[in-house]
Amino acid sequence: MNFAIVVHGAPYSSEACLSALKFAKAVLASGHSINRVFFYHDGVHTANSLIAPPQDEAPVSEQWQEFGTGNNIELIACIASCLRRGILDETEAGRYEKSGSNLAPGFTISGLGQLIDASINADRVVTFGV
Amino acid sequence: MRSILFVFSRPPHGSINAQEGLDALLMGSAFTTCSVLFVGDGLMQLVSGQSTDDLGTKNFSLSFRALKDYGVTRIACSKPDLVARGLNKNDFLIEVESLNAAGMQAFIRNHDRVLNF
Amino acid sequence: MIVHTINKVSALGLCNNLIAEDDKVVLLEDGVYLGLRPLPFLVFAIRFDVDARGLGGRLSEHTESIDYSDFVRLCAEADNVCSWF
Repeated sequence: MNFAIVVHGAPYSSEACLSALKFAKAVLASGHSINRVFFYHDGVHTANSLIAPPQDEAPVSEQWQEFGTGNNIELIACIASCLRRGILDETEAGRYEKSGSNLAPGFTISGLGQLIDASINADRVVTFGV
Repeated sequence: MRSILFVFSRPPHGSINAQEGLDALLMGSAFTTCSVLFVGDGLMQLVSGQSTDDLGTKNFSLSFRALKDYGVTRIACSKPDLVARGLNKNDFLIEVESLNAAGMQAFIRNHDRVLNF
Repeated sequence: MIVHTINKVSALGLCNNLIAEDDKVVLLEDGVYLGLRPLPFLVFAIRFDVDARGLGGRLSEHTESIDYSDFVRLCAEADNVCSWF
């Protein structure tokens, strides 16, 4: 079975980001596949490369990066949500003449169409909200 | 083509989330058959007479008038939640079906996917 | 059969009219506090969240603790998943 996972919550501000990661790992461990993971609303903060949590706290953003890269899974951060919240790749930083970009490796900025496409094509969609 | 039911539960303007939910619905309706169900304080998104000029936020409620033009199939709300909030359908800026519990359960079951916002 | 996920106590008010007799409810995050008392549904609670909150041994006997692989299995067996938050 193929799963699409949607994440609405930012690391630390909500548990959504962490729960979704545990779910995603369990999906693969159970022999299923993941269509893509779509980060929306404050969930896009997961894709912020500047997150530097204390050493004794779970580095959720890094864990997502490792999970996505290690398992070849698309981690998509919605462009509209990203722009509102200051998560920019080099292209968007240039377009909006911002001082820097901060999209974490392993994440891609893309549109809502990716959410809808995943919802239509995956067998199940599970949302981790706030 | 798989159908998607969008469920909206957030009131407008207190956060951007309600507006971003609508953005997702409009995108969805470009791809496939979509319907929308308003529950809880999500019903407040439909209240007529919203005026955001002084607040400075977007009055995205005006976009609800275009939902049918975008091809959104059914627009419904929770009847129990409507009653609990002392509202009726005349308070809304568009025509909305109100569904009781059985109607909402059937509405969910009639769709292939559910996206909650 | 639909799996409803609930991640906070206040979200029950959103969905208790929409949960049908044959549906299943998965409590996660702060939603596990709903598992302290019996609910009129088939209820599961994510063990990691139960333990984090010190609720192991305090849950209603009607709430079954599950891990994430069980959660995945419930979603796979369901016709649809609806998330309440």
